[in-house]
Amino acid sequence: MLVDFSLIERAQKGDNAAFNEIVLAYRKRILGTITRLIARPEDVEDVAQEVFLRLYFSLDQLKMAQVFEPWLHRLTVNAAYDYLRKQRRRQEYRMSDLSEQQVMMADASASGKAEHDDQQQKKVRESVDSLLGAVSEADRILLMLKEVEGLSLKELEQVYKVNENALKVRLFRARQRVLKAFGAAEKAKDPGKSG
Amino acid sequence: MESMRGNDEQRLDALFQAYRNACPDPEASKNFMPLLWQKIEARQTYTFSFKRMANALVTAAVALSIALGVYMSMPRSNPFYAQTFVEVVSNAQDAAAGTAHVDLPDHGR
Repeated sequence: MLVDFSLIERAQKGDNAAFNEIVLAYRKRILGTITRLIARPEDVEDVAQEVFLRLYFSLDQLKMAQVFEPWLHRLTVNAAYDYLRKQRRRQEYRMSDLSEQQVMMADASASGKAEHDDQQQKKVRESVDSLLGAVSEADRILLMLKEVEGLSLKELEQVYKVNENALKVRLFRARQRVLKAFGAAEKAKDPGKSG
Repeated sequence: MESMRGNDEQRLDALFQAYRNACPDPEASKNFMPLLWQKIEARQTYTFSFKRMANALVTAAVALSIALGVYMSMPRSNPFYAQTFVEVVSNAQDAAAGTAHVDLPDHGR
């Protein structure tokens, strides 16, 4: 936990200063998660603000301060999912129009958000983004939370409120689809490698 | 084939890890907090207006119900409605009987 339970309880009682402190504590982490979930640097802050907006208006529904972090993760996942659903068309050009991505990266670099980006990092991001373009928005988020954010199955269970076995099955299927796309991409890169 | 698949799994894991490193947590812009509070206030204003409108509607509905209740329970001063239906029918029957009595010829005398 990045904040005390007492701070969360104060925010629940309507203390705006306490809420402000919570946002300041979790802001960077949430921005990072959203950056990796939606892969659109220019929209990351908007989605993060939506997460904290939802947090502000739903904080009174949180029964125990102890489950605050899964609750916040859930809000993040929902906001990212809503965003991705609205941007469904993005998936199509992600697969076919790399120049759009290059423009996006150039914008990110120009605004100083990706100062440390080198060519290798860009390549990695492009590869993962295009691989995850092969699965649904919901599966993309689930895989990201597990494989990139490093959430355990227990934590995912709290976020998704479904049992561990159902999550395992869903994760396995999503990973298999990505793996298949990965294999195909590798084969396309190196046609000499036979399967 | 299996070993190649296992190899792909490992490489995919490595790619995810590399992605994590390639997308570090960004710093928020200076406008992040002011914009967030602006959005919160805008939503609060909207919610407040909506609640106020809903409260006004509820109050109006309650007031109208009370007014109707009072109106319905007030004694009527209109003579047309002064008698009950049973009284009106009974009176009408009496009147009809009286008329019939008057119209009968008096053969007994």
